[in-house]
Amino acid sequence: MSNWFILAQFFGVITIVFEFASYQIKDKPKYFLAQGIGSFFWIGMFFCMGMATGLSTQMSLVIAATYSTVRNIVFWQTFKRNTAKSKEFGINFLLLMIVFALVAGVYTVTQVPEQVRWIHALGLVAALSFVIGQYMPGVHAVRITVVIYALAVILTQSPLNILYGDFRWNVMGVLIEVAKISSVAVFYWRFGKQPPEPALAFAKPSASKLPAVPAMPVAAKAATEGAQAY
Amino acid sequence: MFHIVSDSGCDWSQDQAKALGVDVVPFYLTFDEQTFLKEGICISNADYFARLQEDKTVFPKTSQPSPQDFIEVYQPQLEAGKDIIVVTISSKTSGTFNSANLAAEMLASDYPERSIFVIDSMTGSVGEALIIKELIKMRDKGYDAQRASQLAEAVKETTKTYFTLDTLDYLKRGGRVGSTTALVGGVLGLRPVLHMVDGSIEQLESVRGRKKVLKMLEEGIEAALKEEAQDVELSVGHILCAEEAAQLKANFEKALAVEFDHDITPVGAAIGTHTGPGALAVAYCIRHEALEARMSGNGLPAVSAAA
Repeated sequence: MSNWFILAQFFGVITIVFEFASYQIKDKPKYFLAQGIGSFFWIGMFFCMGMATGLSTQMSLVIAATYSTVRNIVFWQTFKRNTAKSKEFGINFLLLMIVFALVAGVYTVTQVPEQVRWIHALGLVAALSFVIGQYMPGVHAVRITVVIYALAVILTQSPLNILYGDFRWNVMGVLIEVAKISSVAVFYWRFGKQPPEPALAFAKPSASKLPAVPAMPVAAKAATEGAQAY
Repeated sequence: MFHIVSDSGCDWSQDQAKALGVDVVPFYLTFDEQTFLKEGICISNADYFARLQEDKTVFPKTSQPSPQDFIEVYQPQLEAGKDIIVVTISSKTSGTFNSANLAAEMLASDYPERSIFVIDSMTGSVGEALIIKELIKMRDKGYDAQRASQLAEAVKETTKTYFTLDTLDYLKRGGRVGSTTALVGGVLGLRPVLHMVDGSIEQLESVRGRKKVLKMLEEGIEAALKEEAQDVELSVGHILCAEEAAQLKANFEKALAVEFDHDITPVGAAIGTHTGPGALAVAYCIRHEALEARMSGNGLPAVSAAA
């Protein structure tokens, strides 16, 4: 067993930890940050696997993981900044990513043997729905679409492996997808037991810092803190 | 005794304001950038929104009142020996606060015995109106201008204002959201929830569907207010969706087991230009009496009235 292979497993385990953790997070910027870190190690895993088994077999996965990392980082900043400008940039970036994925996906589908086209098409649709789900407001869309995506990846791994007989079968890759599904299950188990919370947090009026207003004689003409007096 | 002045960002009609002893200095509205109409005087809100709905291509603009507009309102009150408290729409969204200040500066030397306090509400619409309503109560109880302005500043700090819109089109026209965001948001049926943060309008969240956004407003605000509902005043404003606004207010009152003083307020043109028909606004604050009691430890003597 080569050192590269062992390192790939190590990166895989770190990826699993971040993937699992990210679906326990309700806050969108923190979710994307966890996803971004996780997918960075995901790149490392595919790269090390490539070094162990031949880089050409893993190159498409390295590219896919890099695409995922960049997307997560851009979305992290989009939601963290939460300005009209960042939102506009984020939505344009999302559309660009969808176009790229569609072009690359459709090209791949047309290039593969006819009997496995539906598998690739299914993967493409699942991946696109997940990317859109990530951007959608609320906590549910991303979790529903990631389960569909993870299932699509797991279910298509075995048939593709059997058909192609190459190194597509990656136990750690499958475990990462299982981690996503189980994290979503744990999320709903955890929050399903809690009393329902409002989906949006509104500010309590008493949470505001009250001005420390010094008592002044009624005749004084000095400005109070805040109000302009003349 | 002091007199209260505001701008039409508080969404009160001239008649309504007069009845409460408040002078409202109107914003200017223009459809063609040549004719400038005084909000609520030259054009009613009903006519304004009818025109907005008739012609979807029209995008009216608003401009702040001039210092002279404020001077015309201040002068008779100063002549009558009254101090003045002015509450303006957030200085981050309009130059009205500057106009009101400039006018006060210009008159300061002519009336050395009188005081004008200008308060930047850091909000608008029903949020601004809440602060004015608290000032009216203080004025009627006989508070002096200085003390009332101090308390109004504290009320302002507790005032939270939220809006939801029925469409992103007006935000896009005003440059507050980008074209792609508006297009995709429209396709997905996203309704933004906006709030005032340090005087600026920011987006809190986008929610799919009108029913869902109303439910979120209702549940979220109830949760925020339930621990101190007895100390809170709340107001709901709307643009051409009075039934929803009334239902929302009734639901708040039922859930929190309190009755709020404020009527449902039709939001005026100055705010409506940027939000469009279908907008709902909710604002809440802590009543000045409750704040006065809480602030006694902050150096403000806890007396109920100062003459």
